[in-house]
Amino acid sequence: MSKDFDKVEKHIENMALEIVTLEEEDIQAMGRIMNALEAVEKGSKKIKHPQYHLLLTAAKGYVERLILGDTKDVSPLEEAIGYLQKVFRSISRGEAFQEDMSPLFDRLDSSSPATEKVNRSEGPEIKGVESSSEKSEEEQASEQTEEDREILNDFVSESLENLASIEVNLIDLEDDPENLETINSIFRPFHTIKGISGFLNLGKINSLAHGAENLLDKARDGEIRIEGDVVDLVLESVDMLKQMIQGVEQGLGTGTPLDNGMNIQPLLDKIETFQSESDNLGGKPLGEILVEEGVIEKERLEECLRTQEKTPGKKLGQILVEEGVAGPERVVGALRSQRKFGGKKGFDLQVKVDTTKLDTLVDMTGELVIAQAMLRQNERIVSIADQQLYKTLNQLNQITSTLQKTAMSMRMVPIRSTFQRMIRLVRDLAKNSGKQVALRMEGEDTEIDRNLVDELYEPMVHMIRNAVDHGIEDPETRKANGKAPEGVVNLRAYHRGGNIVIEIADDGKGLDREKILAKAEASGLITENDALGDFEVYNLIFRPGFSTAKEVTEISGRGVGMDVVKKAIEKLRGRVEISSVSGRGSKFTISLPLTLAIIEGMVVGVGTERYIIPALAILESFRPDKSQYSTVEGKGEMVMVRRKLLPLIRLDRIVNTEGKYQKPWEALVVAVEYEGQQMCLLLDELLGKEEIVIKSLGKSLKHIKGLAGGAIMGDGRVGLILDIAGLFEIAHENYRIAPIAHPGTGEALSDTRTEKMGSLH
Amino acid sequence: MAFDTNIKVLVVDDFATMRRIVKGVLKQLGFTKIIEAEDGSAALGELKKDSIGLIVSDWNMPKMTGLDLLKAVKKDDSLKKIPFIMVTAEGQKENVIEAVKAGVSNYVVKPFTPETFSEKLEKVLGS
Repeated sequence: MSKDFDKVEKHIENMALEIVTLEEEDIQAMGRIMNALEAVEKGSKKIKHPQYHLLLTAAKGYVERLILGDTKDVSPLEEAIGYLQKVFRSISRGEAFQEDMSPLFDRLDSSSPATEKVNRSEGPEIKGVESSSEKSEEEQASEQTEEDREILNDFVSESLENLASIEVNLIDLEDDPENLETINSIFRPFHTIKGISGFLNLGKINSLAHGAENLLDKARDGEIRIEGDVVDLVLESVDMLKQMIQGVEQGLGTGTPLDNGMNIQPLLDKIETFQSESDNLGGKPLGEILVEEGVIEKERLEECLRTQEKTPGKKLGQILVEEGVAGPERVVGALRSQRKFGGKKGFDLQVKVDTTKLDTLVDMTGELVIAQAMLRQNERIVSIADQQLYKTLNQLNQITSTLQKTAMSMRMVPIRSTFQRMIRLVRDLAKNSGKQVALRMEGEDTEIDRNLVDELYEPMVHMIRNAVDHGIEDPETRKANGKAPEGVVNLRAYHRGGNIVIEIADDGKGLDREKILAKAEASGLITENDALGDFEVYNLIFRPGFSTAKEVTEISGRGVGMDVVKKAIEKLRGRVEISSVSGRGSKFTISLPLTLAIIEGMVVGVGTERYIIPALAILESFRPDKSQYSTVEGKGEMVMVRRKLLPLIRLDRIVNTEGKYQKPWEALVVAVEYEGQQMCLLLDELLGKEEIVIKSLGKSLKHIKGLAGGAIMGDGRVGLILDIAGLFEIAHENYRIAPIAHPGTGEALSDTRTEKMGSLH
Repeated sequence: MAFDTNIKVLVVDDFATMRRIVKGVLKQLGFTKIIEAEDGSAALGELKKDSIGLIVSDWNMPKMTGLDLLKAVKKDDSLKKIPFIMVTAEGQKENVIEAVKAGVSNYVVKPFTPETFSEKLEKVLGS
């Protein structure tokens, strides 16, 4: 007999001893028996006797029922352990065990009323609680003792606090959708609220918390992912719970019923429907698959979904077939592909990759594209008149560009999640300001570099706050102005050229030109004489130290102006602008490079050198007329650009070379902008716009001012990318241009403006 | 009531309201010395400081769950004899079984009445 067998025998003996003295509901003893049974099971893997294993399983099941209080009768277990001893003995002796155990199996099975819920064990007491909850909550309000009231008060404040944490955690979850700890922290408040509301006889709160808890339990088990619809359902539940709990608070204060008459049934139904669907299916919704496959049109699908809402219990597939929208074979096909890719399997189809690896991949494909371009431009290759070679080169070209696109796309994620986070924000902002605001979204599928997502969040929040707080009017004002009482914030994303453009538009009152001008003058941003176009005026709000908010609202206007937004966007090598029509609304337009790894650059020539200026920094380029050029005593050379006098910086001097043209009217001028400051760079020629893969210059060259990085050009030579911020600093040191103004340094700020704009007209 | 109400009871729950409810029930049953902790690890701290006669712990808590607390208590020779009652929610069958296997003295399902709780206490503390 092996060692395993010895151990098994010992466990069985112990159980036999324990069972004799086992009393009803001796939980700890039952725990020991359970552990012993499991140990026996583990040690009996080599035993191939089916009856023996069935007996073990049945015994375990019975102990579970004893523990859960589904039954109190210990005797079947006693009998089972007796048999276990007998079977084990005959097995270890190598004898066959012939006795019929079916009566025992019946007993082990039958004394288990099929109960799902643990609380059945509580018997009459719990029923007492349940029946008391049938008592209307109205009555209770008057029955509460002081202690009850205190507990209810505690419950209100603590629950509200915990519900608020759910939203934060939902956001965290977006970054790491499978983080169990985060999922659990979303689950927990519902779970606890369910538990406590049960004590406090808050029936509806209890049911809804329970519904949401069940939904999240599925997420904890990995059956569903918390995204899209699930997030909406969770948020809706949070909202409704909040409102009901606030109702309790009100009821406590006024002595009115604690139940404020919310109807939770529709939401419960929605949760229920979602769950039953996720039970049957996984992955993408059926309708979506069919739309993607082109079987049905989106509008038709939506119609059918509405029908489905009206006839709960009916599957979408059924409705689609019945309405003749889709043939049964297509529906079945879609269901099949849904199963194939859906559910838990869907998780396996994704691989988590370290982003640095992705960055390297993007870098390397960038290099490949360049090497490929070098090959194509090689003079000797070009001179070969060979059909086959051209074909191969073209093929190579296609492959590399597809490869580059694919590599880039790996880092891209739809902007949807960022947009969705705004739904909440708009809702809350509207609520707090007493306005009615709808958020509309367009182009949520537009993809954006993963690295940009987090960086974009804050500025977007800022702009949306601005739109709701300062843009959209309150319902009365809107009505008085002939607008719908509900304002609209429109979020839109789309690709334009190599950029992703995000628009945040509102249909509010628009910017007040006069107010901005007055404010800008007061803070010394402009002088009275400046003649500024609307566009320029509106964009003054991005200047440091500018804020038109008359009163500091709870949410916006905490001393952080739109300059923060601009800075954040510029950090991403992007641009932000605002346009506005008085009375009709304002629109922020953010334009960002598709990815941080590539910039759109203007290749410029100075002497024999070539440099790259990030295209986003460039305002315009031109060859100045002699009359536009002037020198100002103590300030150096200036160029008049669109009625503004801008300092002229000779690029050749900064980079220590000699330009071909020294006279500005023979050379070229490129006007650049950084953080609201503008200057002109004098250089020889523009060589063309290119997509440039940025390469770091390495540690030793990192701190050279004025250079942002290097790039390998199409012909294989290295070009350096100019850092506009650095150039401003150099210019400031060498040419005595006022330093870049920062919020709080009002003096420097006003200096700059007078210097640059003082001589207008 | 057939149990000693002079012992110190440690109530562990991350929700203050829930702790308050449990405390209320315990007070109704005659207990006066009640200490609170808001999760498993805080509870362990209290257990080391004070001599506790009964632990009533919630299951689902951040940082350290009730089950982990139970396991830690059972591992510690100086603590393992302290009766441990787990508070769980209905429908959490697996939790109950797991706790029982880990050696919990008894469990009680939310929402419970003082009577239910008293019965459980009697089984745990009685005799």
